[in-house]
Amino acid sequence: MNEYEPVIGLETHIQLKTESKIFCGCRADSWFDPPNSNICPVCTGLPGVLPAINERAVEQAMLLALAMSVDELQPVSYFARKNYFYPDLPKGYQISQYDEPLARGGLMVLPLADGASLKVRIAKLHLEEDAGKTVHQTDQRLIDFNRCGVPLVEMVTEPDLRSADEAATYLIRLRQLLRWLDVSDADMERGQLRCDANVSIRPVGSDQLNTKTEIKNVNSIEAVRQAIETEIARQVTVVESGGQVEPWTLDWDEDSGTLRKMRSKETEADYRYFREPDLLPLHIDEAWLARIKQQLPELPLARRARFIEAYGLPAYDAEILTEERSLADFFEATVAAGGHDVKVVSNWLMNDVLRLIREKGVSAGGLQLRPEHLSEILAMLADEQINMTTAKELVERTEESGESPRQVVEREGLGQVSDRDSLVKLARRTLEASPEQVADYRGGKQTLIGWFVGQLMRQTGGKANPQLARQVLEELLAE
Amino acid sequence: MPNPADGPITAEVFAHLVRLAQFELTEQERDYLRSELNGQLKAIRQLEAMEIGDELPITSHGVPYGPAIRPPIRQDEITGSPLADEILEGAPQVQDRYLVVPDIPHEELK
Amino acid sequence: MSLADRPGHEVAAEVRRGSLKAVEVVEAAFKRIEQVDGRRPALGAEPQPDDQQFIHAFLLADRQRALAAAAAIDQKVAAGEDPGPLAGLPLAVKDIFCVRGTPSTAASRILANFVAPYSATPVERLEAAGAVVIGKVNLDEFTFGSSNESTAFLPPPGNPWRPTHVPGGSSGGSAAAVAAGESALSLATDTAGSIRQPAAFCGVVGLKPTYGRVSRYGLIAFASSLDCPGPAARNVTDVALALQAMAGRDPRDATTAAAPVPDYSERLEAGVAGMRIGLSSDYFRIVAPPVGGGEIETRPIDPDIEATIRQAAERLAQAGAVIVEDVPLSNTHLAIPAYFVISRVEAASNLHRYDGVKYGHRTADPVADLHQLYRKSRGEGFGTQVKLRILMGMYVSAEQYEMAYYEKALRVRTLIRRDFEEVFNPAGDYRLDALLTPTTPTTAFPLGAVYGDSVVMQYADALTVPANHAGIPGVSVPAGLSADGLPIGLQLLGADFSEATLLRIGRTWEQISADDAWRSQRPMVLAEVGP
Repeated sequence: MNEYEPVIGLETHIQLKTESKIFCGCRADSWFDPPNSNICPVCTGLPGVLPAINERAVEQAMLLALAMSVDELQPVSYFARKNYFYPDLPKGYQISQYDEPLARGGLMVLPLADGASLKVRIAKLHLEEDAGKTVHQTDQRLIDFNRCGVPLVEMVTEPDLRSADEAATYLIRLRQLLRWLDVSDADMERGQLRCDANVSIRPVGSDQLNTKTEIKNVNSIEAVRQAIETEIARQVTVVESGGQVEPWTLDWDEDSGTLRKMRSKETEADYRYFREPDLLPLHIDEAWLARIKQQLPELPLARRARFIEAYGLPAYDAEILTEERSLADFFEATVAAGGHDVKVVSNWLMNDVLRLIREKGVSAGGLQLRPEHLSEILAMLADEQINMTTAKELVERTEESGESPRQVVEREGLGQVSDRDSLVKLARRTLEASPEQVADYRGGKQTLIGWFVGQLMRQTGGKANPQLARQVLEELLAE
Repeated sequence: MPNPADGPITAEVFAHLVRLAQFELTEQERDYLRSELNGQLKAIRQLEAMEIGDELPITSHGVPYGPAIRPPIRQDEITGSPLADEILEGAPQVQDRYLVVPDIPHEELK
Repeated sequence: MSLADRPGHEVAAEVRRGSLKAVEVVEAAFKRIEQVDGRRPALGAEPQPDDQQFIHAFLLADRQRALAAAAAIDQKVAAGEDPGPLAGLPLAVKDIFCVRGTPSTAASRILANFVAPYSATPVERLEAAGAVVIGKVNLDEFTFGSSNESTAFLPPPGNPWRPTHVPGGSSGGSAAAVAAGESALSLATDTAGSIRQPAAFCGVVGLKPTYGRVSRYGLIAFASSLDCPGPAARNVTDVALALQAMAGRDPRDATTAAAPVPDYSERLEAGVAGMRIGLSSDYFRIVAPPVGGGEIETRPIDPDIEATIRQAAERLAQAGAVIVEDVPLSNTHLAIPAYFVISRVEAASNLHRYDGVKYGHRTADPVADLHQLYRKSRGEGFGTQVKLRILMGMYVSAEQYEMAYYEKALRVRTLIRRDFEEVFNPAGDYRLDALLTPTTPTTAFPLGAVYGDSVVMQYADALTVPANHAGIPGVSVPAGLSADGLPIGLQLLGADFSEATLLRIGRTWEQISADDAWRSQRPMVLAEVGP
């Protein structure tokens, strides 16, 4: 295996997050709808219908193209018909782009585990419409057109990836970017991000491109990784036993974890592309381009780098905090509220806030807990106004109620008991109530101090300053 | 009537086109169509023979849609359609709201 | 004079005023249909001996629906509301348009059972202006043809002037219905001349608007970059009113222009004084293979027709127009070859959707798999002429030939467009307001005389198709009768969105020739029908 190097290119189809479909006013999302209920004459290709392009689909594609650092966003691009017969394609052609797509060239830079970075060139990026779904049933196919006309961006890389892991990394970063830009929810299990992999091998050191196979029907990033690894191994075996790799199309079977050769193309490969006469050329003028450029946020990897440099965060923290945009926003807003140790904020986000996010199934931006709230909690903690236990509780409670933590603390008197005299009184009571344990402690079982602290905490309803409580108890026990 | 064999559309090319076009033909139609196609290609030979370079741009629509008359682009709004059920009613075969077709022919899997 | 023969704009005005009932107008239309149309065409019907005594324009004539719509108009008038400028006018819709609740067949077996769930935009607009849809009329299958003989619904329509002759195509039914007084208006389509040529053959007015002037939403597509919906009627004023109702941007058709819609009637009667009207020798000849096959040759058009056009030019000059002779349009002869290619590529693609899966004809034979389903359904559903166009389209757009044919044809189209831009350029050498040409090289030919020879048939459009390539508007108006009594049409072509100018010249011609002897002749089928 060491003599061969894999050569991998990925073709992704990305469902855009618009309200309506790309060429008609039907709802774009119909995942939960009964079959053939989210359709109209246009997306079902009835006689006489015509397409009308959706402005937001164009804008989301433009945003993505800019984020991919495309060489040029074409000021004039054209739609084209890709003609073929298939039951999920009602018009018998797909409206896509061909000779003059929205964007050409582009680059994605991926950080690799070992600290190196990988440049993946983007060969093309264009808009097109999605087809429907077919369900196989014994000798029949059942067709649902709900998905016909959902806007897609097709993005194809050059064969720049050199391992299954690199392919997986690309998809992870792509998914992150799509969600970051809010142009797609990119959930592979819901078909919002689809991937076909082109795989070939060659002797290490060669720069020739050999026959490739195409792997389809992979429904998760992990499956892409496995499928590619399996195929690389298969190709090596074939070549090493003197055979030739054939340009097959392979189907990944999730359940058995195997690849199967798919039926050969049902239709001839000649799609007879020509410019779509029902749509005018797409003009993107300077003003429009400028507006979209303004919408382009700081991209995830740039933000990650800035978190490391400007905030002095470790790479581990920066990675987690910039995984999702609203979490990164949350971090920065909390820090900006002032007076906190950056690392403390980071820890709270990586632990408590992230846990909350997972429990609630929302993003950081969807929490009732706002950065200002967290900032209050951390400030009170730093002032020793409350203890850690209370702080953690407040995170939960603020999420439930949305109330300002300071107000809650005031109203319910949750302030930390740091008043020495009260603590001494309570500590004496604690010791009086537990003579056996006192005896054991004075007899040498010093580990019981934890138990005493716990008892005192209970007496104070958890509000005792734990350090001070321990100190007081130790003093009293030493008497 | 010119000989159907006379022209670039040989029997083989013709058969390929018919396969692409996905329709069956009667024997009569086959002869008639192939001969007409060759006749049409002859008629457009002058087109074929013309020397035209890329300096002459293509015209997809006769009317040049300058900025003044270009229609505005559709806004992203859900307008929906009440016609889903009627569309299904017009379909030749439906089952549980799915359209039904026979399976696609395929080669033996490996 | 029967209501059926009166000018539409007069009738509509009276309905609007309340001095005439829409229901009466519609009844008169149906009476005429009964008198002259004969049996309804049907799929695969056998010819009958008396076929050629009737017109057979209508595929569907829905009396109930029409009377209900007419009654609603009368109610509106009675309630003091305005039903619109086309109030009560019978409208025959070429069956290439979807009209909700009607079979919208494209004259094809493959859509014979397709009932449209929506109506085309031009239909909706005409109805909103008060027109009453009385039925759907016959056409060449999927509009592929110039004689209406390739319809799947037989017998095909006959020319009301001589029903043994073709009415022209593809809007044969439209032109025939209007010529015979069966309808005041018809909504038709023009892709290579399909409104203008039958209008010329049947002695009526037919307008191809500028591409993008009228919405194509609901028009069952043939050649998307060439198709233009447009009106046919017996006089220019009616055509102007119909265009007024239909024209303008439609958000459902992304190729409709945002150009403002003028008042087409405003200056209709303003005359032609000072207008520059061109004549071109490129339009008095055609470059085509002869009937019966052979090499392409240049030959003059019918001398009768040429004489009629030149005389019309003289008379327009007497009315104050400046006639500019010998205007060159040297790429005219390339228009048919380029059309062969461009239209077929678009047509083949547009017809992919007819596959027996979603609507329309599905084979009743047992099938082994999906491909057999496609092949049998499409094989049974499409007529031979349709198959011919699809195959040609497949060939000239196939990857290896695409550059030699399709791309080249699109560049030739630029040449054709530039020819027109040059002559209409207000800063150029010719500065024309319009070009005056014959509409067709011959008058209506006999049924069966040309059908089957697809090349010769296509050349019937040699003088009309250049306007489709260029997108410019064109109108055909009756100019006279040939020596053997068949109508001759004169064509006016103008710059983009110059319909108002063309209609004005056409109206002036109507006025100049109002007392010509030929205008008192009536189509043969009306000989038995009273005045």
